[in-house]
This record gives sequence, structure tokens and C-alpha cells, in this order.
Amino acid sequence: MIKVLFFASLREQLGCDGLEAEAAGIASIEELRGKLAQKGSNWQSALANELLQVALNQQLSNMDAAIKDGDEVAFFPPVTGG
Amino acid sequence: MAAEISISVQAAGFDPGAEYQHLRSGNYVDGATAMFVGNVRDFSPAESGEKNPVAVLELEHYPGMAESALTDIARQAAARWPLGRVRVIHRFGPLTAGEEIVFVGATSTHRQSAMDACAFIMDFLKSRAPFWKKEIGEGAEAGSWVQARHSDEDALKKW
Repeated sequence: MIKVLFFASLREQLGCDGLEAEAAGIASIEELRGKLAQKGSNWQSALANELLQVALNQQLSNMDAAIKDGDEVAFFPPVTGG
Repeated sequence: MAAEISISVQAAGFDPGAEYQHLRSGNYVDGATAMFVGNVRDFSPAESGEKNPVAVLELEHYPGMAESALTDIARQAAARWPLGRVRVIHRFGPLTAGEEIVFVGATSTHRQSAMDACAFIMDFLKSRAPFWKKEIGEGAEAGSWVQARHSDEDALKKW
């Protein structure tokens, strides 16, 4: 399974702070995003945001990064701390 | 010698004076101590130039990644400048006007290194560390998320 997390405005848009996705057939973060986008129109629009950032196992990553069973993938809007 | 790096991501407040004492305690090598403290404002600047009142600033973070991102940024600073001690604190949860939200402190043998390290850490923290701010006004409205600014990303280019 792949652990998926959502933060901040994305979490609110989706009404969901995380889920587990079946790893089979998902080779990259982009593929995971595509699969999640099929969950509904709000998922499709929220995950289509070109500013969306992603972390793989708590390191900033790119949408084309490869993923495997046991990974943690987090999607979130641009950060605004400090 | 490797810099001593200390990172805290916490809901609790902190005492900048005590943090200064920790940076200085027994430290007779570093002649320079630079510190930055960020405080919560009671307004949000609107595009119109007006100021929207903010009663509470809610800080969300990504537990685990927030600590590792700050550690990574501090290590990058320590690799660039001869730093003795580095201290970074970032708070999360609801904060009110005037409260301290972030602390960056660095000691070095020379002032420019200490000041540059603090500025570098703040610049990277703002664009690379997983924290998000939500401004909540005086009324019962849900609040609005602070949008990232291009100027924050541009600030990284000077490093």
C-alpha cells in the first residue's frame, strides 16, 4: 500500500487528510495523481492545480518520481511558513 | 568542526532571550551571534492596500517532514559558512498577534557569516519547509489560506 497525505487548502478542498492506495499498477506519483483524480470532480480539479507540490517519503519530489509499495506520498499547496 | 544544530517544531511559545543564552553558553569561539524572530501581525495586507484584521493565525505543518526539512536547510547553511551553533524553532497551531512564530539563530567567528546564515535559512524555510498559514479574522468566517508569493521563490536565487 502507498500512504497518501493531503495538507492545508488541498486537505480542505478534498475533505480528506489522507488515504491508502493500492500500489499495484502505480509506478509514479503522476500515475497516483491520475488515479486519485478519478475519485470525483473535486479531486480532479484540486489535483490538477499546476502549483501543487509533492513530497516522497518526506522529501520534496517531482510528479514523475517513481514510487513503490510502502512509500509515503504527500500532496500540498506551496508552503507559506516563517 | 561540525556545527551544533538544534531544531524544534512545537506548539509552545519560546523565549528569544533564553535562546540567545543557549547560543552563547560556554561559547567563547564565536564572536558573532545573529538572530531573527518572526512575529504574528494583526492584519493581512490586501491587494487594494487596505489592511484586513487578523485575530488568529493558524499554522499547519507536516509532522516529521517539517523537522527534517529544517534540519536539511540548517545543514546546508553550516556547509556554506563556518557556523558554531544553529538554532531553528518553528511553531504550529493557533497563534495570536504579537506572538513569536519563528526563530533562527546562528553563531560564527565573523558577523557576515552569522547574518548570511540566518537570512539563508529564513529564505529557504519560506519556500521549502512544509508549513502553511491560515488567517482567521474577527468574525466567524472560516479564514483564508495565505498564498505563496513569487518574491519568496525569487529570494532563493541570490544564494
